Amino acid sequence: MRVKREKLNVKREQARSAFRISLLVAIVLCLSGLPVFAQTDAQTKRPLSLPQNLRVFDTPSDGGGSLTVLWSPAPDESATSKYQVLLSEGATVSDPASMKVVAEFPGNQRYVHESKWPWWTKPTTGDQHQFTLKNGKGVELKNGNVYSITVAAVLNEDRVMATPVQATPEPNWINWNQMNNLLLALLFGGIVFYAISTARKREIFLRRIPGLDAVDEAIGRATELGKPILYMTGAHDMSDPSTIAAAVILGRVAKRTAAYETDLLVPHREPITMAVCQEITKQAYLEAGKPDLYKEDSNFFITSDQFSYTAAVDGIMLRKKPAANFYMGHYFAEALLLTETGASTGAIQIAGTDADHQLPFFVTTCDYTLIGEELYAASAYLSREPVQVGTLRGQDIGKALILGVIGVGTVLATFGVMFDSQWPKLFLDCFRDVK
Amino acid sequence: MSFTERMLKIDRRIIFLVIGLCTLIPLLYPVGLPIKISQEVRGVYDHIESLPEGATFLLSLDFDPASKPELHPQSISLLRHAFRKNLRVIALTLWVSGTGMADQVVTQVAREMGKENGKDYVFLGWSPGGTAVIINMGQDLYGAFPADYNGKPTKGLPVLQGVQSLRDVNYAVSLGAGRPGVEEWYVFGRDKYKFELGGGCTGVMAPGLYPLLRSGQINGLIGGLRGAAEYEILIDQKGKAVAGMDAQSATHLAIIVLVIMCNLFYFSSRSRARQQGQAGA
Amino acid sequence: MIFLRRQVPLLITLITGLVFAGQYYVPHPASEQMLTSVTKWLQIIGGFALVLGVSSLFHVHAVKIRRKEAGWGYSFVLYVGMLGTIAVGLWANGKEAVDGAMTAFGWVYNFMMVPLQSTMFAILAFFIASAAYRSFRARSREAAVLLIAAVIVMMGRVPLGEYLIPLSGDLSQWILNVLNASVRRAILIGVSLGTVALSIKIIFGMERSYLGGGKE
Repeated sequence: MRVKREKLNVKREQARSAFRISLLVAIVLCLSGLPVFAQTDAQTKRPLSLPQNLRVFDTPSDGGGSLTVLWSPAPDESATSKYQVLLSEGATVSDPASMKVVAEFPGNQRYVHESKWPWWTKPTTGDQHQFTLKNGKGVELKNGNVYSITVAAVLNEDRVMATPVQATPEPNWINWNQMNNLLLALLFGGIVFYAISTARKREIFLRRIPGLDAVDEAIGRATELGKPILYMTGAHDMSDPSTIAAAVILGRVAKRTAAYETDLLVPHREPITMAVCQEITKQAYLEAGKPDLYKEDSNFFITSDQFSYTAAVDGIMLRKKPAANFYMGHYFAEALLLTETGASTGAIQIAGTDADHQLPFFVTTCDYTLIGEELYAASAYLSREPVQVGTLRGQDIGKALILGVIGVGTVLATFGVMFDSQWPKLFLDCFRDVK
Repeated sequence: MSFTERMLKIDRRIIFLVIGLCTLIPLLYPVGLPIKISQEVRGVYDHIESLPEGATFLLSLDFDPASKPELHPQSISLLRHAFRKNLRVIALTLWVSGTGMADQVVTQVAREMGKENGKDYVFLGWSPGGTAVIINMGQDLYGAFPADYNGKPTKGLPVLQGVQSLRDVNYAVSLGAGRPGVEEWYVFGRDKYKFELGGGCTGVMAPGLYPLLRSGQINGLIGGLRGAAEYEILIDQKGKAVAGMDAQSATHLAIIVLVIMCNLFYFSSRSRARQQGQAGA
Repeated sequence: MIFLRRQVPLLITLITGLVFAGQYYVPHPASEQMLTSVTKWLQIIGGFALVLGVSSLFHVHAVKIRRKEAGWGYSFVLYVGMLGTIAVGLWANGKEAVDGAMTAFGWVYNFMMVPLQSTMFAILAFFIASAAYRSFRARSREAAVLLIAAVIVMMGRVPLGEYLIPLSGDLSQWILNVLNASVRRAILIGVSLGTVALSIKIIFGMERSYLGGGKE
């Protein structure tokens, strides 16, 4: 019995202790919770920070109808807070609340570093907020008119607004953002001129281009067989460098066909190209001393429609069976239709194109293919004039420069990732902007 | 002439017959193999999905009837998607020979989706100039197209409300079969007038546009019939592209088999020639 | 005469070349307006150039018909087709359909041009197969690498290929996105530099053979 009573006492004592502990824990929790609640309350009631250092100015380097707004980030901004950009016409604002809200976005968005300004035109540091107001999409900004703009910080129902700032959108005469492009173009132009002057002083080595060496062979074969030569200048018009290159090579080919007294057929897709090529062919025959052999209709127009042209040229190939087919210039899906038909007639086929997407077809079906810039190099290769050869050297120097920058950039980017360093990013950003 | 040599010089009409049968049979008896969605097609789909109702979507149907089998299904899927999202659709073509076909596809899908001409969509038709049209539209859309394809003045059309130039377009997709096409829309459009651009093209052209895609100059690419089939699956409306994928599968497989065969014959004839050379020596 | 044929075109090329290269860096609306005007001039000149082309076409085929050259019947078909299409096109005001009813021009477009052009494009598949069979041989190590890559891409681009070799899809994407894109970029850089160099030569009159007329 005594043992039982003792056990009961122990249990009672344990229950009391448990109760005391629970009470203590509850009190501690309540006490510790108080400042938490108090803090939250204080936070919601803390006044919103005004957008600081608000600046509004005409967006530089544009065609007008645009204003750029900049302001400093507030310490309390977050994804839950918002910024509003407000606009009104005129230099004075009687009631800021009446201004039109033209943009609203979360407080942790739209920073200068997110924008695409290159470093030489960046108006401020990357941590500042930036918003560009543009004409259109609900906003009407007229060049020369004064506008008042402000930024409001918004959190739940609260909104605080900075003092409106005035600005006038204006069109600009120079796009400074693209000065990198101009500088690189001038630099490349300078390199080309330098290379030309060098080429005038000493001979520059040109590697062999088998496709161009084969031109004579193809014309010779056509002469032996008594069959004509078919020459195409591609799908583009005279404004395209590939067509110009094709026309230049036509001059050389026509000179040889005139010398060998072989027929030349040049079907065209574009009338202006046809007119230019007629002149070039005529001149080539004159220079070869065979003006009487020149035929006005050796250059003829078929149609500008891709597949109608293809069908017509395929027909010419099958009927006249030319001994050599030249495909110079830019081509699309018609490339294989032409070259495969040409191959079926047993003609020697020489292609030269900057259409990278058609290269596989030319390579598989033609005897020789000039790839990419080899088409542009053809003129230099055939003439060996210092101007032409020098330009080629200039291109090579330009290519070496680009390759060098790509190499350095790759090493820097790899280094940055491997060692988790930030400094390579500075150089890479610089490269990105200059490109 | 030995068997291998004869096989190497096989009449190409036999190859044509094989390809013809490989195209025809799956079209008559479709299998319906599953199609995986690629990131580049999803890029276009996701961007259209992200557009709010009433946003302007420009679709340039830059192809002619020759590319119809590949680009027509792409245009149908894109239009269905845009209309389903209640976007304001501005359609046009830069290829004169594609004008009638473009008008047909826009009208047909709009009718199917219950959309009204002038209010929900407009087909601007064709204007001469190619790339110059893009530049002109970037300056002033109404200057480039004073009237739509049906001759109705474009100024005041509800569908073009708030649209002055290409700068006001939320998203543009060019379905191009050549030039002018996706590249020209980038160079003369997006680069100058800053709008989001996606592309669609024939299968042959697709590899050539990957550099644009990789550099973010276009945000998605629908390549050939395969791309069209993927888009049909994404919008859950299977059509001609999905049906054509079996035929494409069979022809690809046939070409692979032909290439392997020709290489076997080639190596066999080469080793025989070597053996004969050794025997002769 | 040589002044009109050489100096004037070269001067026009120099001035317009420099002005429009500079126009790229001038965002002012006046500069944009100038570009728009010039593109419209180009459209007008293009229209006139078409007359040049069509007259050449008529001349070549008229000669063929007159001389009864081989295949002169096709030239006759060309005349009929061209004049007929122009006539029905003018009659229908260039519209394929009016109030839902197909015009004669629409009939020509839908039932002649569409199937004929589609046929031409469709031939491509057959020609790809025959060209691949004839030329795609592993003659060297490089050709063998190309062959393997082509087979992977062909497999990976169709559902059957992905079904048979599940890895082919990702592998072909990798080939297209990484290998193909980088090689194309390399070609593109070379082509672009070539284009710029040729443009410089043309603008400054160093390349003038495209004008014809030879050296003065």
